[in-house]
Amino acid sequence: MAFVAAAAVPIVAHHAFGGEFDPNRPVLLKGKVTRVEWVNPHAWIHVEVAKPDGTKEEWMVEGGTPNTLLRRGITKDSLKPGTEIVVDGYQARDHSQLRANGRNVTFPDGRKLFLGSSGTGAPIDGADPTEGGAKPPTGRGRGGQ
Amino acid sequence: MMRDRFFIPAAALALSSALMSAQSTKSTIPRTADGHPDLTGVYDLATLTPVERPNGASPVYTEAEAKKLEQQVAVRKEYQGRAIDGNRPAPPKGGDGSPGPAGNVGGYNSFWIDSGSSYTIVDGQRRSSIVIDPQDGRVPELTAEARQRAAAARNQAPTSDQTAREDDPGFEKTPGAYDDPERRPLGERCLIGFGSTSGPPALPNYFYNNLHQIVQTADSVMILNEMVHDARVVRMNQPHLPPTVRRWMGDSVGRWEGDTLVVDTTNFTDKTRFRGSSPDLHVVERFTRTGPKTLLYRFTIDDPKTWTRAWTGEYTWPATDERLYEYACHEGNYALGDILRGARLKEADDARKKSR
Repeated sequence: MAFVAAAAVPIVAHHAFGGEFDPNRPVLLKGKVTRVEWVNPHAWIHVEVAKPDGTKEEWMVEGGTPNTLLRRGITKDSLKPGTEIVVDGYQARDHSQLRANGRNVTFPDGRKLFLGSSGTGAPIDGADPTEGGAKPPTGRGRGGQ
Repeated sequence: MMRDRFFIPAAALALSSALMSAQSTKSTIPRTADGHPDLTGVYDLATLTPVERPNGASPVYTEAEAKKLEQQVAVRKEYQGRAIDGNRPAPPKGGDGSPGPAGNVGGYNSFWIDSGSSYTIVDGQRRSSIVIDPQDGRVPELTAEARQRAAAARNQAPTSDQTAREDDPGFEKTPGAYDDPERRPLGERCLIGFGSTSGPPALPNYFYNNLHQIVQTADSVMILNEMVHDARVVRMNQPHLPPTVRRWMGDSVGRWEGDTLVVDTTNFTDKTRFRGSSPDLHVVERFTRTGPKTLLYRFTIDDPKTWTRAWTGEYTWPATDERLYEYACHEGNYALGDILRGARLKEADDARKKSR
């Protein structure tokens, strides 16, 4: 489980996430993609989530810049409406907005979007950091260095 | 031998290795109709070489040292891309402990990131810092005046190379930082890319969107920065604008010195403040083709109101066949509205608690 926790370390850039999202409102969203706003500076993935009472609500999940993904051949068609995803993050400080940061956006089996499906995460020989006593990487992305 | 070459005095740098290697590739580099080197192209500035040399590192890594460090980064990226638990719970209430702009809530995961994967190679040397003068690879000390200015600027917007204040966890530390859109970082406002990607000096941001496109004519050279879509137009063989005219990226004029394009930039505003610089910042950039697919970018920073001495950096811009896409930053900039709205709600909430 330590592996899961370490691997889930998210990356931040561009703007003050702490200003936008509320640390006291953690969310776990499971649902189907309805559409993707493929715009800069941040892409927004819309996902329809079923509530316990059976009604549905649409959340918007903040991702990074689309430019990088476009260069890897990933387009808005790569995340088609109806695709089931799981998102963990924090809700916007404005609780009337169903918006959250996409700390981790994965398929239901835990594979990360895009990296899991596009083959860009090429395997590295003997590089499993969970084996052989290697210390799990702790690097955390930071913008504006 | 190669290592020794690194330590030539700063004054001689301009005439040294870059130009010599440029001469040796004279016949192979592309040229425009007027005979000047053709710098046109798209370049990927992403690199692992930091601006300042890490403590204890030698100026140049051996191939084996560089490969080892590059492998560590590759491992980390691979690790970050791995599957996690599909049945994971929501993150912890009260925040996940993320520092800096991540503000205790984190950002988004690694599939969005496109940082560098290798160290910059100049003259066959794998460099451990972009700064080459001073020889310790570190930006010189700030002057007393600059330190005073930085302290006074606590209540101003962050400088152009910052995303937010490094010690700002969200709303809590810098008074008034969320009171006004003009107090927000320039990148957040979609005005200029963070990390001095727009420049000058143009630096990698070690994160994403590090492509630059150069379009060259006899009269002007345009440098387009992918992030936030800034286009800097260098006017060739022209005098600077009057000092009363100030620009976000300064006023850039260019000239050819042999096969090197020299770009001189002054007339900055007090809004960008690269690393705390004053509007008197003077940047001289040198673009030299070192091969059909490489360009050496060297810059010298001079601002006596800010640093105790001038300093110089250089790194290679490798050409890329990748495409540079439009950024159109404000088309989807919900974040800035969310940030300011969040601040107002928190204020209201705090006021309610106080009045109870």
